[in-house]
Amino acid sequence: MTTDYLHWLAQVLVFPGLLFTASAGLVTSWIDRKVTARVQMRVGPPFLQPWYDFLKLLIKETIVPAGGAKWLFLSAPLLGLGAVTLASTIIWRSQLAPHQGFVGDVIVLLYLLTMPAVGTVLGAFSSRNPLASLGGSREMKLVMGYELPFVLAVLVPVIRAKSLRLGDILAVEPSALAASGVIALLVSVFCIQAKLTQVPFDLPEAETELTGGAYIEYSGVPLALFKLTKAMMLFTLPVFLVALFGGGMGLQQGWAGLAAGIAKYLGIVIVLTLIRNTAPRVRIDQAVKFFWGPLTVAAAVAVGLALGGW
Amino acid sequence: MNREEILPRLQTELGAKLLRWHVKSPKRLFVEVAPEHIVEVARLLYDGLGARFQIASGIDLLEAMEILYHWAFDASDCLLTVRVRLDRTRPEIDSLTPVLKAAEWIEREMWELLGINFRNHPGLAHLLLKEDWPEGQYPLRRDYKKAEYPKPADAHD
Amino acid sequence: MGLALQILTRSLNVFHMAGSACNNCDIEILDALTPKYDLERFGLVLVGSIRHADVILLSGVFNKKSALRAKLVYEQAPKPVVVVAIGGCACSGLMFKDSYNWDQPVGRYIPIDAYIPGCPPKPEAMIAGIVKLLTKLRSA
Repeated sequence: MTTDYLHWLAQVLVFPGLLFTASAGLVTSWIDRKVTARVQMRVGPPFLQPWYDFLKLLIKETIVPAGGAKWLFLSAPLLGLGAVTLASTIIWRSQLAPHQGFVGDVIVLLYLLTMPAVGTVLGAFSSRNPLASLGGSREMKLVMGYELPFVLAVLVPVIRAKSLRLGDILAVEPSALAASGVIALLVSVFCIQAKLTQVPFDLPEAETELTGGAYIEYSGVPLALFKLTKAMMLFTLPVFLVALFGGGMGLQQGWAGLAAGIAKYLGIVIVLTLIRNTAPRVRIDQAVKFFWGPLTVAAAVAVGLALGGW
Repeated sequence: MNREEILPRLQTELGAKLLRWHVKSPKRLFVEVAPEHIVEVARLLYDGLGARFQIASGIDLLEAMEILYHWAFDASDCLLTVRVRLDRTRPEIDSLTPVLKAAEWIEREMWELLGINFRNHPGLAHLLLKEDWPEGQYPLRRDYKKAEYPKPADAHD
Repeated sequence: MGLALQILTRSLNVFHMAGSACNNCDIEILDALTPKYDLERFGLVLVGSIRHADVILLSGVFNKKSALRAKLVYEQAPKPVVVVAIGGCACSGLMFKDSYNWDQPVGRYIPIDAYIPGCPPKPEAMIAGIVKLLTKLRSA
């Protein structure tokens, strides 16, 4: 029993949990910044830059604003960090050993992947700052916007595999090869962009407008954890999409399969980065109308097609 | 309101209250009135002629204090400037704020920098200068001498 | 503290604080952050909140009213933080030293680590100043 728990703890903390996801997340954020720099015709940061940023934040002073809820302010980042660590562990365990997953782990993943946004909202409202409250309320509205089409889009591979277990979804033919899967993949790419609060949906952290928005009062270690959570989400969410729609990272098919999986994952990351570099920021009412209007309709159409067998 | 109609209209409505006028160019018109009639002139320009109040500028000429009120006629692309001269020893004039909300802040600025008292102004408070600026010190007056301020106690050199 | 400073110099968040400036120095600072000079390859990133700042760029002549507010903002930055005065007005007051609204250079309210004179300083001058500052920090 003890060895089982130790084994599980090692999986959560080292591979494929915290250390692996954090490192992969920081590399992914470097890829994102480098592609952005290349699009803007400049050189961009060196490879170790995200590590430098993280370490630098650890050595800075942590200031807690007076009058705010201190324990909530300091523990809000841990909520998101813990959730994304567990989510990443579940996704990679399903890919390493598909038959060991449990039924309903897709639902658990959907819940876990909303926790970072909840952590941001809690942190914003415990900051006792009007700009942070604006950022937090925008984040809440954004979550209410994109969760609906995202859940509908995730329903498509579940219908095609006729199972709520990620392992079973990986075992059948990838959904991206069917019409319903293509539509659902496009819908979920937009929802991922909002989950990561990246342009055009970066209202909660609008830099030039809200001067930091939800994170305005954060400094030092809590800010480092928030930024690390965002980098880990940048890694976990495309892997989730590849697992749902693209047949996984190909861990069961040897080196060729792994290379194909990495190529699919990088494709999604680069698409997210290119959208980030070419779009302006939208207002919150425009964002919610976009998610509840065209995207929900498209996702519903995709679900209908999946139910019909296409 | 055509450009040519503005001056004759002012002359008819104001009569003897219009002390002087000068047409510098087709787009630029200068008139002078006495300080007692400024509110009436403002009402005439705003309600009667449909002009837009742009800004006011005050200056300390040694023989008097002068305020220029700049009005714009957007439809006919022309600017009108109304000049008043105040007694330098006791500069006072009626405030335009009851008629035009837009005049509130510029009158605060003219009060704090030149010392012109605006009667009936809702709240003459400091706008640009520090809140604890000493009373009676009006920096843009010609006879203002800069007071020496002590170094702050926790200065770094 | 040596290792901490080494890491700090490789990832600097820049916060720009203008106190009653004529905005020419502000324009030159923004020029330095454009892709032509590409300061991100040195790890410099512009941030909006003072709590995320590692370098505070002061520009403009801080008059009596805004100098006190600048001091408040400086105290809100998490330490260690580096302050750079950009432009002649922030260094010394320049042509405004006899003005009714100015009494001392902002360096008497906030400790300044580097002075970059100029009116306004070119982006190349700002980069040279920042490089000198980083060299001084790394050898400290």
